Amino acid sequence: MNTRRPSGRWGLGCGVALASAIALTGCKPGESVRAPATGKPRVALIMKSLANEFFLTMENGAKAHQRAHADQYELIANGIKDELDVSRQIDLVEQMIAQRVHAIVIAPADSKALVPVCKKAHAAGIIVVNIDNKFDDAVLAASGVRFPFVGPDNRKGARLVGEYLARKLQPGDKVAIIEGAPNAFNAIQRKLGFEDAMKAAGMNIVSSQSGYWETDKANQVVAALITEHPDLKAVLCANDSMALGAVAALRAAGKLGQVHVVGYDNIAAVQQLLKEGKILATADQHADQLAVFGIEYALQILKTGEAPADRETPVDLVTAESLRRE
Amino acid sequence: MVEPACSSARRSEWWRACADYLGLVGALVVLIVIFGGATRHFLSADTFRTIANQIPAAMLLATGMTLVLIVAEIDLSVGSVLGLCGAVVGVALTQWGWPLWAALAAALATGALCSAFNGLVSVRWRLPSFIVTLGMLEMARGGAHALTQSQTQYIGPAIGGIAETHLLGLSLPFLLAVAVVALGQATLSHSVFGRHMLAVGANEAAARLNGIDPRRIKATVFVGNGLLVALAAIVDTSRFQSANPNAGTGFELQAIAAAVIGGTSLMGGRGSVARTFLGVLIIAVLNSGLASVGAKDELKRLVTGAVIVAAVILDHYRHRLAQQTNR
Repeated sequence: MNTRRPSGRWGLGCGVALASAIALTGCKPGESVRAPATGKPRVALIMKSLANEFFLTMENGAKAHQRAHADQYELIANGIKDELDVSRQIDLVEQMIAQRVHAIVIAPADSKALVPVCKKAHAAGIIVVNIDNKFDDAVLAASGVRFPFVGPDNRKGARLVGEYLARKLQPGDKVAIIEGAPNAFNAIQRKLGFEDAMKAAGMNIVSSQSGYWETDKANQVVAALITEHPDLKAVLCANDSMALGAVAALRAAGKLGQVHVVGYDNIAAVQQLLKEGKILATADQHADQLAVFGIEYALQILKTGEAPADRETPVDLVTAESLRRE
Repeated sequence: MVEPACSSARRSEWWRACADYLGLVGALVVLIVIFGGATRHFLSADTFRTIANQIPAAMLLATGMTLVLIVAEIDLSVGSVLGLCGAVVGVALTQWGWPLWAALAAALATGALCSAFNGLVSVRWRLPSFIVTLGMLEMARGGAHALTQSQTQYIGPAIGGIAETHLLGLSLPFLLAVAVVALGQATLSHSVFGRHMLAVGANEAAARLNGIDPRRIKATVFVGNGLLVALAAIVDTSRFQSANPNAGTGFELQAIAAAVIGGTSLMGGRGSVARTFLGVLIIAVLNSGLASVGAKDELKRLVTGAVIVAAVILDHYRHRLAQQTNR
């Protein structure tokens, strides 16, 4: 169970951390069946990149919840350095198995690659709850496991944003989509949601390219697009960081106000731009509540022993009007 | 047109200098023609104004990187230090309520301090700058996230003025970057310090025997590079009117790619800031052209990588040709 080959320059560090984790908890290799819980259950929260505002908010929400319910459970929160660091997240799950936590609440960085190690956790008697980014159904079926999912419907959220935008446009108007990282599940869902709304309203999607979630990359793409399509009417960005890049491109081209921009995530940095109308709309997935729902699910399963059904968490449309109402 | 006083030796030198740039300019023209043919609006003043507006930060980073590579060192931390300097500007303006000049000065000081650390540590203990700056890459990014609490700082028009000031249709950052490129090239080819840099990069031991202090040269180059990185951070923060703690991720590799496309040797002792500028232009035209075409992402990466390798192979032959004609 604990035989693992550390890889890359972080491997050694992880190996040392794992070894000390084993030493601290006194776990014997191969001893996988947990004794009945004595004291409070320990819940491990494993997130994606803490370099991302969304997950930092998620972590803070979970910690606040734990402080309010300190008598009910202990929380061990961990994240990875960047969202593409899949192997590090696998290492983290293995460390948590070694620490013999009672439940793992995970936002997988890769919806396929994390399934085997979570199956291992499941086999070790640990409750696994999937949040934020849903595991791939086909891989789950092939592995013969099922984990309850608690999270938002990104496609539905993107459709909400797209439908709001469509009301400001005329059928046949040219629009462009700036996608997130092409291998990310939520990026694909958001793109599909934008497409659903644009096609339903009869818009003409002239281009759909990736901005890799980044301000700078999105800026380059949007700047080229507004030159190539001078009559472009709107840019739909899969996150708010990229919307900031799109706004900068429009400002440089003197087209601010002529081309609508929408984003996703509702980060603090876009509040002012929303109020000024430079960004038309965004979506809020309530990151602070997401992990909390997952933890409550895990505690419920620990108590009752029954896995509840998947639960969809709310996604809200945020616009200048909705901000004024607050 | 021929200057009467020009000897044939001088003229052949001039020709060789021209030939030095010919390959890169040719590649640039080929790219522009291809994208011009493949799109409707690529061949327009707007495209080139857009590119000129986008590349100042890349120009500043690539210029600094070229100088560092010439003295046979490397700086992998420039992307992260750019993120940190931007974070300093953002937090100073939005949370600490500092005036603009103080925020900009703090950013420049941050850039200089990070690079001074890189330079002094690698020179003092004779450590490979690859490792020292790799450490700084992590530290500076951590610092940027600690300062901003991982939140993008929206600054607004308070800082937008820098990028929006235009002279003769060109933005202030672009003019600044062009001035830096010119100054860098002049230092390299027309000053004693520049000669010393090339000597230290080509053969450190020989340079020392000739009375040059390689440590002083290298430390100076590092600090100068840090100031350029801070300038790049100011320019980008102004353009986006916001500071993202993840800004600049991967920029170090773009800067190295631009320098290498321009014929800078990773082993030190050879390089040109002006040719690096052409390298930056090639990458920028490629990015802009591929986005205008609406190329698929996998294709964009394949093409960009292939162009970098092709440029280096071309430069290998150009360099060999130059050596043959020298004999």
